[in-house]
Amino acid sequence: MIQHLLHISHVSKHFGGNVAVSDVSFSVEEKQIFGLIGPNGAGKTTLFNCITGFFPATSGDVIFDNKKINTLRPDQVCKLGMARTWQRVKPLGSLTVLENVMVGAFSVTSSTREAEAIAQEQLKVVGLSDYTTKSAGSLPIGLKKKLELARVLATRPKMLLLDEICGGLNHTETDTILDIIRSIRKKGATIIFIEHDMKAVTSICDQIVVLNSGEKLAEGTPAEITNNPDVIAAYLGGGHHA
Amino acid sequence: MKQIAFIAAIAAIAISLPLVIGESPYFIGILISLLMMAALSSAWNILGGYAGQYSFGHAAYFGAGAYTTLILLTLYNLNPLLCMAMGVVVASIIALITGSIVFRLRGHYFGLASIAVAEVVRLSVLNFEFTGGAQGILLSDVVLWDLDLNSKIPFYYGMLLVLAVTLAITAYLRKSKTGYYLQAIREDQDAASSLGINISFYKNKALLISAALTSVLGSLYGLYIRFIDTSAVLDLRLSIEIILTAIIGGVGTLWGPVVGALLLVPLAEMLRSNFFGDMLINAGLVSETSGVGMFLKDNLAHAHVLVYGIITVLCILYLPKGVLGLFRRKK
Amino acid sequence: MSFLQPLISGILTGGVYALAGIGMSLVFGVMNISNFAHGDLMMLGMYLAFFAFTLLHIDPYISLVLIIPIAFLFGYMMEKVFINRVIHHPHQNQILLTVGLGLIMSNTALLAFTSDPKILTTTYSSSAFNLLGDVSVSVPLLLSFLITCLITVILYLFLSKTSTGMALRATSQNREAAQLMGINVAKMSAIAFGIGTALAATAGALIAPTYYIHPLAGHSFLLKAFTICVLGGLGSVVGAGVGGIIIGVVEAMSSTYLSSDWKDVIVFVIFLAVLLFRPQGLFGKKGGQ
Repeated sequence: MIQHLLHISHVSKHFGGNVAVSDVSFSVEEKQIFGLIGPNGAGKTTLFNCITGFFPATSGDVIFDNKKINTLRPDQVCKLGMARTWQRVKPLGSLTVLENVMVGAFSVTSSTREAEAIAQEQLKVVGLSDYTTKSAGSLPIGLKKKLELARVLATRPKMLLLDEICGGLNHTETDTILDIIRSIRKKGATIIFIEHDMKAVTSICDQIVVLNSGEKLAEGTPAEITNNPDVIAAYLGGGHHA
Repeated sequence: MKQIAFIAAIAAIAISLPLVIGESPYFIGILISLLMMAALSSAWNILGGYAGQYSFGHAAYFGAGAYTTLILLTLYNLNPLLCMAMGVVVASIIALITGSIVFRLRGHYFGLASIAVAEVVRLSVLNFEFTGGAQGILLSDVVLWDLDLNSKIPFYYGMLLVLAVTLAITAYLRKSKTGYYLQAIREDQDAASSLGINISFYKNKALLISAALTSVLGSLYGLYIRFIDTSAVLDLRLSIEIILTAIIGGVGTLWGPVVGALLLVPLAEMLRSNFFGDMLINAGLVSETSGVGMFLKDNLAHAHVLVYGIITVLCILYLPKGVLGLFRRKK
Repeated sequence: MSFLQPLISGILTGGVYALAGIGMSLVFGVMNISNFAHGDLMMLGMYLAFFAFTLLHIDPYISLVLIIPIAFLFGYMMEKVFINRVIHHPHQNQILLTVGLGLIMSNTALLAFTSDPKILTTTYSSSAFNLLGDVSVSVPLLLSFLITCLITVILYLFLSKTSTGMALRATSQNREAAQLMGINVAKMSAIAFGIGTALAATAGALIAPTYYIHPLAGHSFLLKAFTICVLGGLGSVVGAGVGGIIIGVVEAMSSTYLSSDWKDVIVFVIFLAVLLFRPQGLFGKKGGQ
C-alpha cells in the first residue's frame, strides 16, 4: 500500500487580484524525491510558502503525515517534521556556521551540548566541518547553500523542501549537493525539490510536477515530462523572457 | 579560567570600591548612577541587542517599578520587597500588552508602539490623582529594614547586585537555546521561523525578562532617591539614554552596556557639573567674565542631551558596533 | 454646546496635522525610514515663522514663501550628509540616527532660544467669526487650513503630473525596480526628505500663531505624525491626509467631551488599537506586500 506523506489538494493562493497558485493538487510518497519545476513566476516558491505556513493558502488543503496543516505557523510545521530551505539563502549572518546549525538542532533538543553534537554531525554530512567557527555571513554562496542544507537537516525532518538549492552553483558544486540529497534520501527522508534547471531535476527526481502561471501543467516521471509537448512549449516560451 | 579571573577581579574592585573612596556621597552617587545605567542598558540589551527588538519605551517599565513601589509604600507601608515584586507584576502586564499588540507585526512597528505605550503610561500617571500627578511622589518617614537611609552605601550594593544578576542572566541566556533563538530572530525572522522558532513567544519572553529587571531597577531607584515624578522616571529621554549606553558600548554583547555606562555616565556628570567649562576657564583659555565664559557657565550644564545627540549620530555613522566592536573586527 | 464646534475646529487643526503626516509618510514611502526628527523639523518651522515675524515683520502665512525653500534645502542637505549613509543599515540604526539628529536640533534650539515658550501674536490671532449662529471659527486656524489644502493640491499635482513626482512614486512603490528603470533613487530620497522637511516646517509655521513655540514642542507632534501615518497606512500620502483630519477631530472631541488632559492619551490608544486591529492602516489593502 502506498503511503502519501504529503497531499496537496486544490490549493490556490491569491494576492489581492493576482492569482499566484491556482487549484494545484498532487501527492508525495514517502522517501520520494519529488521535483517541482516551471518557468520563472510559475508559483513554485509561493506554493512552498503555502505548504510551510508562510502564507496560508486562500483555498484548498495541505495534509502532511495525516494532519491538516493549512493554518499552522511555519514553526509548527517545522516541529511536525517538514523543513525548508530558501531560494535566496538566509544565513544568520553574525552567528558562526556551527551556531547556525545549532539553531536548527534546538528544535529537537533543549541542551546546548546536544545541539552542538547534532550540528557537528550535520556539518560533516554536508562537508562544512572545516568552517565551524567562521561567521555565516562571510561564506561564499556555494557554502551558504550547504549551510542551509545542514541547518534544516539538524531539525531531523521527515520531509525536506529545497527551493533552488543548486541555483547559482557551478557543475561540481551542483553534483556534490545532488550526492548529499541522494544520501539523505537513503537515510529515510522525503524530498521536494524546486529547480529551474531541467537537467538537475531529471537526473535525480522520481516524480515531477510542472507548474506554469500558477497552474499544474503536467505530472509524471522525468521521461514522461521531458517528452511532454506542453512542457516543452512552456519552457521555450518562458525561456525567451528569462 | 582567564574569564573567571577577569570576572573575579572586576567583582573584587566593585565590592571594595566604596571602602577605598570612603563615604563621599557625591562619588557614591555617581557610582550608583553608573551601576544603574549599566544594569538598565544590560536589561534592555537582552531584548534589543540579542533579539534585535529596539524598545524606545523602557522608561515605562522603570517607571512602573518606581511608581508601584512608592505608591504601595506610602499608602500601605508594605514590605519593600513585596512592593518591588508588585512593580514587576505591573511592568510585566504592560510588557505583555505591548508584546501582544506588536510582536505579530514586522519592521518599524515595535519601536513606534513601544514609544506609544510609554507615552500612554506617562500621560496617565501625570493625569491620575493617586500617582501624585505632576507633583510626583515624595517618600518620607519610611523605615526600610534597619538601613541608615542617609547612607548611600546600601543602594550601591543593591544596584551592584541587580547588575550582577542581569549580567549573569545574559551570560546564561546567550549560551542557551533561548539565547540562540533570540539571535536567530534578530538575524532573520523568516529563517528563524522556518527552523521551528515560535517568534512571538520568544520575543515576548525576552521582553518580559527585560521589563522585569528594568522594573526592579526602577523600584530600587525610587527607594534610593525617595522622590519621583514623570520627568525623572517615565521620560522618553531616559529610554533613549538606555539605548544610547548600549549602542556606545556595543549592542548584543555581554559587556557592551557596562562599557557604555563607564563612558557615558561620567561624561554626563562632567557636563552637568560644568567640569569642561571650569576647565577651560581655569586653564586661562576663556575668561570667566567674557561673553563666551558666561555662556559656557550658564549653558554647558544643560548641554548634556545635546552632547548625547551628537554622540548618537557619530556612533551610528562611524561606530555602529560600539566601542567593543573595535576590538572584535576579525573572527 | 454644539457638536459642530469641536468638529469644525478639529477638522481645521487636523488639516495642519495632515500636512505633517503627509511629509512623514512620503519619507517613509520613498526611503522606508521612520523619521524621528520629524517633530523637531516642525519645531524649526515654528521658530522660523516666529523670527520672520518678530525680526523681519513678515506675516507668518506670507513667510511660508521663505520657509518652504529654506526647509526643503535643509532637509535635502540633511539627507545628503547623514541619512543616505544609513539607507541600507538595519532600521534600528536609521531610527537612532534620526533620534540623534532630533536631539541635536531640539537641544541646540534650547541653548539658542532658551526654554521660555514664545508666542507669536498677530493682529488676527484671536479673531474669529461665527458660523451657523453658535459655531465660532478661528481666523488663523481657517487660514492655516486653506493654505494646507492649497499645498496638498500642489503636492498632489506635483506627484501625479511631473516626471520627478512620478519617479518619486515609482521609488515608493518598488525601490529596486525604480532603480532598474534608470531612476536615480538616491536623488529621489534626498528630494523626498526635502519635501518631507518642507511639509513639517510648513505645518510648524502654520500652527505657530495658535500654539506655544518651544524647543521641545516637536515631541508631541512626532507621535501625532506617527499616529497619522499608521492610521492612514505607512507610506500612503492620501491615507495620511485623512488620518490627520481624523486625529484633529478626535483631539477636539476628547477635549470637549472628556478633558484636554487626556486627549493625547486617546490619540496614542487609537494608534495602538490600529496596530492591533488594522496594522495595514484604515485605507491599506489587506494582504498587500
